[in-house]
Amino acid sequence: MPPKLLKGLRVVAAAAMLAALTAAFVDFRSLIPSSVGQRLAETQFIPSLVTLLTGASLSLACVIIATVTLAVGRVYCSAICPLGILQDVVVRLTKWAKGKSRPAPYSHPHTWLRQAFLWATILAAAAGFGGFALSLLDPYSNYGRIASDIFRPLVTQANNVLVAPAEAIGWHGLFRVPPAWFGFGVLAVPASVLVLIIALAAWRGRLYCNTVCPVGTLLGWLAQRAAFRLQIDRSACRKCAACLRACKAQCIDLRAGSIDFSRCVGCYNCMAACDQHGINYHFAWAQKTPQAASASRAGLEAVADPQRRLFLSQAVLGIAGAAGLSRILRAGDKMPAVDAREVKNFSPVICPPGSAGVERFLDRCTACHLCISECPTGVLQPALGEYGFSGIMKPRLDYRLAFCNFDCRRCSEVCPDGAIDLLDPATKHLAKIGEAHFSKDKCVVVTNGTDCAACSEHCPTKAVSMVPYGRNLRLPSVDNDFCIGCGACEYACPAKPDKAIEVTGLRVHGIAKKLIEPKATLPKSASDFPF
Amino acid sequence: MKTRRDFIKTGLALGASLPLVNLEKLFAAGPPAAPTGALPAASATAKSILVAVRDGERAAMLDKAMAALGGMEAFVKKGQSVVVKPNAAFDLPPERGANTHPELVRRVVQMCFAAGAKSVSLFDNTLDQWQRAYAGSGLEQVAKDTGARLVNGKDETLYRQVEIPNGKKLQAAKVHSLVLDSDVFINVPVLKHHEGARMTACMKNLMGIVWNRGFYHRNDLHQCIADFLTLKKPALNILDAYQPMVQNGPRGLSANDLVVMRTLLVSSDPVAVDAAAAKLLNHQPSDIRHIAIAAEMKLGTMDLDQVDIRRFKLA
Repeated sequence: MPPKLLKGLRVVAAAAMLAALTAAFVDFRSLIPSSVGQRLAETQFIPSLVTLLTGASLSLACVIIATVTLAVGRVYCSAICPLGILQDVVVRLTKWAKGKSRPAPYSHPHTWLRQAFLWATILAAAAGFGGFALSLLDPYSNYGRIASDIFRPLVTQANNVLVAPAEAIGWHGLFRVPPAWFGFGVLAVPASVLVLIIALAAWRGRLYCNTVCPVGTLLGWLAQRAAFRLQIDRSACRKCAACLRACKAQCIDLRAGSIDFSRCVGCYNCMAACDQHGINYHFAWAQKTPQAASASRAGLEAVADPQRRLFLSQAVLGIAGAAGLSRILRAGDKMPAVDAREVKNFSPVICPPGSAGVERFLDRCTACHLCISECPTGVLQPALGEYGFSGIMKPRLDYRLAFCNFDCRRCSEVCPDGAIDLLDPATKHLAKIGEAHFSKDKCVVVTNGTDCAACSEHCPTKAVSMVPYGRNLRLPSVDNDFCIGCGACEYACPAKPDKAIEVTGLRVHGIAKKLIEPKATLPKSASDFPF
Repeated sequence: MKTRRDFIKTGLALGASLPLVNLEKLFAAGPPAAPTGALPAASATAKSILVAVRDGERAAMLDKAMAALGGMEAFVKKGQSVVVKPNAAFDLPPERGANTHPELVRRVVQMCFAAGAKSVSLFDNTLDQWQRAYAGSGLEQVAKDTGARLVNGKDETLYRQVEIPNGKKLQAAKVHSLVLDSDVFINVPVLKHHEGARMTACMKNLMGIVWNRGFYHRNDLHQCIADFLTLKKPALNILDAYQPMVQNGPRGLSANDLVVMRTLLVSSDPVAVDAAAAKLLNHQPSDIRHIAIAAEMKLGTMDLDQVDIRRFKLA
């Protein structure tokens, strides 16, 4: 395939992926079907790996990505990963702003640092903090948070500015939507990552991917052993450095005439830039000394015994991986039936219906915020410290802002991590994520002596009913057998300053009873007008 | 923190800034039979007219009722803007009876356009998420099919703070600008049991045009419901009592909460409609406090003997 075509295909695929994923995340009007967002997110390595390892579903994207990487290198990093593609956009804008760039020299790999981030992630998973490590380091989830928490409110505000002009010319297709800006503490996380990514990309291209990103390091480890690798044809090379100028990974060592394929992100810029067609794929497994031919394992790695190092790292990887796997698999087990009334089952935070419980949720969720973007009511909000440090940025239900709509399952429809199961409608109606608690002394029926019933009016299961109180009044009464913890009562309660009815979350979710009432009878048997 | 005094001051200032023409419009929407605003509805010369129809399909019953009232042309003049306010609070399908039935809303919209309306807008300040409620209730489809405009009821910038000088508890409120600015305001509620207001029909449905419902709940729900009528009375009230919800209202648990009555009530007097609707649910009108208060404030007629009731049976 001509090098320029190969690069062109990569650019088109990357642009399409970034545009589609971003659209799914900034879709503040929920115009894009939830299945589209989920399908797109499922192509991502970490969500797929988590889903596969926890047994949530047979997600093969991670296997396919690993296989492709072992065949031709880190195509994932340039064509599929949104955070990688975002960096390419920054690189391109920087080049455009700066004018013609000078060639970036080969830089040694930060092998020690790369491996430290990877091992930290793997060991964290083995120790039971995989959900935490992945939520901070998964490149897809990092991009998701940037798109959801920063791009989405910006796009919403732009939309709101356009509403008035659109109305003025008689087009009523637009409407205002309150922009979903989160608090400063929550916003600081994606904002810092965005600033870091932009700075690093503008400075040194794909430095983040080849230093911090554990997915980049893992796939780099596979790419180093790929069947087909990009190599410099020394007879054709005139050392013009056009490839260096084009390379975003600074992985081409022109002096040695080699390419560090563990850091090559497969953008094919070098191939397209070389007018001598001097960089091409070669079947490396056929070459006699693959270690020598493939990697210019310079710096730290060059002094170590490559065989021993390989053995050691594989051994540790195996052990840690198995430990992490078993840990995650345990977390995926069916939760034991726990009496919801046991005090220890109460949780200060409420996690979405379908997540089965706080622990399983925190183990699986990578905090990509796709569910938060898709939630039509805005009841899903990123946590800061509410779940403890391992739940930072993960969604929780905030009933001060909204409540979970009875017939909505949008979050579970889009979750790519297997963290929120898609329940069938009848099961969702009974999925118990919390319980309501009524404080009579704060209720306006008692404090004001007037009718209210805002809580009962909103309650979809009639766990909150009204019982006679005083002279011709009615007071809320909660039966937690029927309460699913949707928060409609708490949200609606008009009592100030404290709500008279509040929902407490359940650590392990349960199943509510279904209230079945007999068919109502006509108030009067009259078939005539009663007036 | 805003005190009530600030609240009223702002309301007064806003009210004073309203041009006189708008004020006229505010009070000129009703037909001659039902003087609106602070004027007593049931004067000696003009009795409220209530049309009650039974035993037909919704559209057919509406056709009959409107024919008896001189047609939609008596309420909607050529070139006027109309706002139709159904109850579309819940993301529940029509067969659950929690929202005004879309077939009735559809017929109302068609009649308005046939009478020459320049535009017909639909909205509700929903309880469930608004787009889900519009879709689930069937309102979205009605708008698509008829060319009516579906307006966001959850956009606070579309609500305007107005003074309600004759209100006892509700003395100012943020009201949807469509209701304030449209030439004709048509109220199309559904009849249901209601845990808080005891019953929801015409008057209670008007809570769905106000932004801060919490204020009602904190400040004597029934009084506030009645107070709102001193600001704005619909030109026409069309009550869907085809299959009223008689228990577990206003959301309902299942279709078991409904009884089939196949009834439609239409009047310019919301109090008269609510009084008749109370009887359909086996209440005395005076037992529903907001009806009693509204009657006492002379906002309409609760005593059905004083109402000119025209009854029709289609089968």
